[in-house]
Amino acid sequence: MWKYEKKLAFPINITKKDLKLAKYIMTQYGGPAGELAAAWQYLDQRYCMPDEKGKALLTDIGTEELGHVEMISAMLYQLTKDATIEEMEKAGLGSNYAQFGKDLFPADAFGNPFNMTYIKVAGDCIANIESDMGAEQRARATYEHLMDLTDDPDVLAPLAFLRQREIIHYQRFKELRDYYLKKKENGELK
Amino acid sequence: MNNYNFNKCDFIQNDITNLFDSYAGYIRGNMFPDLYNTYKINKPFEIVPMNKQAEDLTYINALCFAINDLNLYLDIFPNNKEIANLFKQYEEEKEEALKNYEKNYGPICIDNAVNKNNEWEWIKNPWPWENK
Repeated sequence: MWKYEKKLAFPINITKKDLKLAKYIMTQYGGPAGELAAAWQYLDQRYCMPDEKGKALLTDIGTEELGHVEMISAMLYQLTKDATIEEMEKAGLGSNYAQFGKDLFPADAFGNPFNMTYIKVAGDCIANIESDMGAEQRARATYEHLMDLTDDPDVLAPLAFLRQREIIHYQRFKELRDYYLKKKENGELK
Repeated sequence: MNNYNFNKCDFIQNDITNLFDSYAGYIRGNMFPDLYNTYKINKPFEIVPMNKQAEDLTYINALCFAINDLNLYLDIFPNNKEIANLFKQYEEEKEEALKNYEKNYGPICIDNAVNKNNEWEWIKNPWPWENK
């Protein structure tokens, strides 16, 4: 089960409203390489991991990703909360306003709603973990693109933090993949 | 700049005795110097707390971060007693800091939602997504 802690994993204090950037950052909420997809993919995959290392790592990284969903959500909230309706329309968020007002709704940067087919599970621990490594790399690349699109240090700091987390997660997934490959070679894994 | 050390297929973290401290790791998003990799920015952004409460929270956040990063490492390398011991030390330091913080500013965990005057403090603003 999960317990809420009344704090963010990393502080978000954005003082400058930026609707265009919010539209881009949206993809890390509900897009194909977003935090929501990552969290759910890992938490779905943990049930059939062959041993305790896999079960632990997927549970713990999945949990961390839920905290990252909250960070991205806080960024979206702070970037848009003071916007007028006209400003939202001008930034291409008129449809968002029509459908959701100022509520958050998981979608990609084009406005396509979050899609469960982003979540990769294959019933094979190697295939699953390599999907996770790919998910981390795609998220890392997306964070770099987002960093290219802003100069605001209030936004760059959490983006840089999240990007580095992808690198660490990639490393841990790779270690797990290599460990299972070795187990396979030794006939300890079906 | 080697921007792709995480893609080296033979990368193994050999030296884990030389970790960042909790705050240095926190602002870098990583406790392991060999895995630190930057993009566009030359040095990590410092967290500049606006008041004593924010400063105390940053201290707790850094400890929680260190604990989480060591946690992931220990999931894969559970026999590393040195790192396990460091995890324990950070955990003790965090528990102490959390107790003091919650006494002064209100609950972070639901376990401490009621204060000594039996007041329900949990619902009080600000919530974490609201900027100060």
